[in-house]
Amino acid sequence: MAVHRGRGIAAIEYPTGMNQGGDPSQAWIKIQPDGHVDVFSGTVDLGQGSKTVHTQIAADMIGVPHDWVTMNNNDTDSSPVSFGTFASRGTFIDGNAIAVAAYRARQRLLELASRMLEVDAEDLEIADGDVSVQGAPERKVSVAEVTATASWTYGEMIVGSGAWMFPHVEPDKVTGECEPHAAISYAACVADVAVDDETGEVVVERLVQVYDVGRAINPTLVDGQIQGGAIMGLGLALLEESFPYYPGTEHRGPEFGAYAAPAMVDLPELRNVALEDPDPVGPFGAKAIGEMANNGQSPAIVAAIHDAVGVWVPELPAKPERVLRALDERRQPRRDGRRVIFDEHLSVAAVTVAPGDGPGQNAGGGWRFPLVSDPL
Amino acid sequence: MKAVGANIARYDGVAHVTGASRFIDDVRLPGMLWAKALRSPLASARILRLSTAAAEAMPGVHAVVTHADVPKNVVGHQEVWGIAADEPLLAEDEVRYVGQIIAVVAAETEAQALAAVQAIEVAFEERPVFLDVRRAWASGEPQVAPDGNVYFYYPDQPQRQIRKGDVAGAFARADVIVEGSYRPAAIEQAPAEPASAISVVGHDGRVTIYSTSQALYYSMEITGRHLCLPTGRLKFVGGTVGGGFGGKLDTVTEPVTAVLAMKARRPVKWRWTREEEMLCSSTRAAWHIEIADAVTRDGWILGRRTLTLHDAGAYMRTSAYACSKHTFHLAGAYSIPACAFNTFVVKTNRVPSAAMRGFGVTSASFAIETHMNRVAEVIGMSPWELRLKNANRVADTSPSRVAYANPSTVTTLLGAAQAAGVELPAELACMTNAMRQGDLLPAHLVGQQRQPGPHLLAWRDGRPALEGGN
Repeated sequence: MAVHRGRGIAAIEYPTGMNQGGDPSQAWIKIQPDGHVDVFSGTVDLGQGSKTVHTQIAADMIGVPHDWVTMNNNDTDSSPVSFGTFASRGTFIDGNAIAVAAYRARQRLLELASRMLEVDAEDLEIADGDVSVQGAPERKVSVAEVTATASWTYGEMIVGSGAWMFPHVEPDKVTGECEPHAAISYAACVADVAVDDETGEVVVERLVQVYDVGRAINPTLVDGQIQGGAIMGLGLALLEESFPYYPGTEHRGPEFGAYAAPAMVDLPELRNVALEDPDPVGPFGAKAIGEMANNGQSPAIVAAIHDAVGVWVPELPAKPERVLRALDERRQPRRDGRRVIFDEHLSVAAVTVAPGDGPGQNAGGGWRFPLVSDPL
Repeated sequence: MKAVGANIARYDGVAHVTGASRFIDDVRLPGMLWAKALRSPLASARILRLSTAAAEAMPGVHAVVTHADVPKNVVGHQEVWGIAADEPLLAEDEVRYVGQIIAVVAAETEAQALAAVQAIEVAFEERPVFLDVRRAWASGEPQVAPDGNVYFYYPDQPQRQIRKGDVAGAFARADVIVEGSYRPAAIEQAPAEPASAISVVGHDGRVTIYSTSQALYYSMEITGRHLCLPTGRLKFVGGTVGGGFGGKLDTVTEPVTAVLAMKARRPVKWRWTREEEMLCSSTRAAWHIEIADAVTRDGWILGRRTLTLHDAGAYMRTSAYACSKHTFHLAGAYSIPACAFNTFVVKTNRVPSAAMRGFGVTSASFAIETHMNRVAEVIGMSPWELRLKNANRVADTSPSRVAYANPSTVTTLLGAAQAAGVELPAELACMTNAMRQGDLLPAHLVGQQRQPGPHLLAWRDGRPALEGGN
């Protein structure tokens, strides 16, 4: 027996927001008489920290300290539409709606500060909770004074509302042509593995992952997504399957212990890098990181297994029995002229196509799947 | 700019790790009943008889509901996008997967509810099952649904497809055609917190629903359709959820508890057990993906053909969406000028698959990237070089003909090489995402270039463009 080491790579891309768009988000903001900011949007924080990111966006867009901002997403009576927390849309689409609402609340603040300072609103700026005259920073009034004066002296209310949506598009039926998303994020992954050729066990020793997130609104939370995604991708690559005898329906197990998702013990050394190439549409240049964080590991790990022991495992997960079977069989691709055909035994053709079946239909005249090897 | 870019601690982090955060299962309301479900033990069967009379007479039982109690039982998760509804909230005259919900009891304790579930009388006529997506149209296979095993995007076209460029020409000119099949497994979303909901009918008839949904308004829309109530008659409470990963888009506990609460005239809570979450809730789909790439000896991908079969399980849920999204991403991070992609949604007698992190694209990334590594092996080229040459660049176009404005495939690959300590040859290390020219613009990539268009709602000078907003 021996342990063999190998390296594999993958490059991936992933869209921000729902495919084909049409998924709106809305937000509204009220500023209390003491300057504290209440943001309302019907988002859901799944544990990834979206509420924290949203307060950061609102704070900087208005120009007040972060801890003045409260995010309210508790119920649909007070919080307006968010299409939901999925499709990697929380930072970007909810965030844009919140940024638009905050921008408008800021405009209201400037209007009222203009009245107090007797200076045109265009000549004012807001930073760190103070409204000051551009070029004359000593002429200033605090946001709290503006909001108190607005409430108690002028009898005014400071609110802002906003919405954001990438419009829905329909793909062309034949060509598929359409612009289906607002932004795309990119990543590359390098996996280093050790494969035991006696047990078939694969240990991922290191993952190097580089993501372009446009702008990391909160670098710690971005890193949390990368770490969480890495361990989820590792489960996908090596451990997890609902139906171990697929296509049979017998389930792996009804509790965590039997199902055996990855645990901290499986976590490899992680080297995470977040590049920031700002997106022109995202809030402060941010793009999505959420979902794609579990997409790069499985191909990189499968390539690393091949690099280590010379066999491909095209079915996930690459569990020990699959690795051992691949080592036993040492399957080679079939060569037919220019064609190099891997995994022929798994293909649709192998299980369905009868002699005489033509493209698009079977011998009986019914439907048949168009194979990648069919004549065009 | 102070908050953006700062490592501000999560405001709820301490509360989460100390157990102080309130999740839906922490909510207890006066008079609240508990729900338990009768689920199908069979993967495919006709329901010959269903009687709840004995269960209704059990101690502590306040209501038992079946499909007959649901104002509109069949509602689709994607009706707003024109995908016809096919899934009953509670089974009617048949079951199509193990774990499908047939009837639900509300009782004063979970134990009483469970005892009553066992008293529901049901008789099945078992049917053969269909499970292997590859055999969806093979003769003699059982039919999962009356309209067959394959979903039709259009009456005369079952697949979502991409057709771009001269695919036949690309394959005719190729030095090598590399083919492979890829089969990522169904897996569980496995959030720490199982699906849960509590429904309370107010004195005015308005229904408040405490929900673990990861999309409150989306779930409210679906619940309103089941109840035949405008969403203004509903209030969803939630927003803090113990993990979702896509599985908490499925909206089941909300409408079921609402129907129970209306019938029992008491608040009703239903919290799925870990077993229900694992065995009966949706999974990430299993996929079957075949790829054929037309490749030159010097490492250009001239064209790609794909066949994808998506295992939707017994009902559509969000599968049509997933397969459209999947299809748009089958060129991955590369510029492939000739594409013919065919993606099919196939129904099987398996628990329905639905959203999970990376929906539709995780499978594509695995297949494409494993295939790229095989192409590199076949032509004897480094996988870095193959990727960096074909990586999408400014003004290259996607399979759906969108011009890339600022793709970062080259940047992230070079960043990964650097972070991993890989020394790349100088001609690769100096690459950028700039518009192709010279050696990086071979003839087959000339015609596909297109100037990136302006985005519809761009930010200008750090401010949101307001036109089109409200």
